[in-house]
Amino acid sequence: MEMQESMMGRGRDAIEMIVDAGSFAEGTVGTEAFADPEFGPGAVVGTATVQGTLCTIIASDGGAMNEKFPVVYAGIIGLEEGYKMAEAVYASIAADAEKPLAEKRPLVLIVDTPGNGPGKVEEIFGMNKSTAAYQLALAEARLKGHPIIAMVIGRAISGAFLCHGLQADAILSLDAQFGTMIHVMPLTSVSRIIRKDLETLEDLSKASAVFAAGPRFFHSLGGVEALVETVEGMRPAIAARIAEVRTAKAEGRQDDLGPWGRGKLGEARGGRTERPRVIALMNREFAEVAGRYAPAR
Amino acid sequence: MTNWTDLQSCRFIEASARERAIGLVDEGSFTELAGPFDRVTSPHLKLLGDAVAFDDGIVTGVGQIGRTPVFVISQEGRFIGGSVGEIGGAKMVNTIKLAIDFHDELVAKFADLDEEEKPMVVISFETGGVRLHEANAGLLAHAEVMDQLQKARGKVPVIALIGSKVGAFGGMGFVAAATDVIIMSEFGRLGLTGPEVIEQEMGKEEFDASDRALVFRTTGGRHKYIMGDANFLVENSIAAFREQVSALTGLSIEAFEEMRRIGSSAKVKAQLRAVALAAQMQPGDATEVWSHAGNTDAWGLIDLPLSDFLARVERLSV
Repeated sequence: MEMQESMMGRGRDAIEMIVDAGSFAEGTVGTEAFADPEFGPGAVVGTATVQGTLCTIIASDGGAMNEKFPVVYAGIIGLEEGYKMAEAVYASIAADAEKPLAEKRPLVLIVDTPGNGPGKVEEIFGMNKSTAAYQLALAEARLKGHPIIAMVIGRAISGAFLCHGLQADAILSLDAQFGTMIHVMPLTSVSRIIRKDLETLEDLSKASAVFAAGPRFFHSLGGVEALVETVEGMRPAIAARIAEVRTAKAEGRQDDLGPWGRGKLGEARGGRTERPRVIALMNREFAEVAGRYAPAR
Repeated sequence: MTNWTDLQSCRFIEASARERAIGLVDEGSFTELAGPFDRVTSPHLKLLGDAVAFDDGIVTGVGQIGRTPVFVISQEGRFIGGSVGEIGGAKMVNTIKLAIDFHDELVAKFADLDEEEKPMVVISFETGGVRLHEANAGLLAHAEVMDQLQKARGKVPVIALIGSKVGAFGGMGFVAAATDVIIMSEFGRLGLTGPEVIEQEMGKEEFDASDRALVFRTTGGRHKYIMGDANFLVENSIAAFREQVSALTGLSIEAFEEMRRIGSSAKVKAQLRAVALAAQMQPGDATEVWSHAGNTDAWGLIDLPLSDFLARVERLSV
């Protein structure tokens, strides 16, 4: 595997690589204008075309710092950033509210974020609401028919990946040669916290993808739909996914997409086989007693 | 196992996941799904040579409160901190999905179905989020829970109960925030980043994780109630949580939507007003925000008996 130049911290470059040349209008989504440059600078939102299709773009800016909330730097999602991203999603839904399914604009999430803002002010005011607000907005847009594609270019870490990425219909990732990081915690930290030596964990991770770090492990768990080999490959890969997702939605196959669809993919790829077993068991057990919980008439 | 009547007076903070699940619904009405007799255990923990639990640290099932079918998810903090792995996560996801599917089935079958007969979901949180021993699967399960919460919108209300020792942190802090209603006791704690991690990131001068009073002022039930993040603050007993849940049965789904903190553009805009206040105030301590909310003796609120606190407290309005 020949290492390639990392895209880490380069969310803005990635936008230029992915969208049609000169098409990105930063700060505008539908009728919503994000005019204040000091509002949530760690999140970049706007509208562009990707192979001619009008899309909402949401990315993290690894170079930005939020003066008001100093925990925000290097692509961290803070209080303002989470809500700004949520607003970009709601603006996309509103802009296409009257349009038929086939014309709901896609959302492209460019993922390179190391975390959610940790801090006292953040906890006092409830950072958990900010990231949850964005996730709910994405889930709503997805269920209303907007195709959502996440493109992991650098870091997709734990709660920040939950927030920005894991609610997408489909997730693409630059492959491991770009140094792409997808994990909850690096194995060295896992080793310290769960008190297992690193060598044992490294050995075990060859057989089990559930705690190992990296895009290929997530791929085998169904957490990433496909790996992309080159930066030039990102735009066509995203455009092709948008088309596939649209078709699936038109055919009513929403359950093949998003988090639930990735659960099915995890089973098919052999990385998550316990999940379907316990779900089937619960369904059988509930079917036996359901009558007791229905109105008696 | 203690009998149902004795469970009612049990302190919520010390009650096990199963005691909470059984005690929250009507006597004798709880059916556990994928319970300990099924012995569905984590192969990932086994691979690491660690102990497993026959319920994977989470109790899921269905019961009734009055005429309302109540789907219950209850996390057990005494098993690896209530952490969420592949199996526990799937149990949580599928409990919500069963409630939604049951709702759809009942609505299709009974033309005259009233609000009280429609199912609801109750989640008793006690967790720090992802289980590191099977971190990737746990993370993916969190995303599935969020997806189900959105799918439940407009159909099945989801109520969060937070009053157990571990609190609700990490990814499960988002999940709790995304529910319709949050009921806490003053001993409940809700947040994203746990106190130790904040201390590690910001230094002990900024945030001393060993200062329990500080931790409670920042993430505890009284604070979350003042901020509007907790809708209700109740006594530390299973009966008190049960009574509050019971009072919510039969409400319209629109009433539940109104109690949400997030979930629409209008609600996000309201939260952004609070964020603007955060930027302007840069509070060094939560009590500064309590004062801003109109509480003249903010520090005095901490030790008031709960009923006096509820009678006197001013909640933040932005």
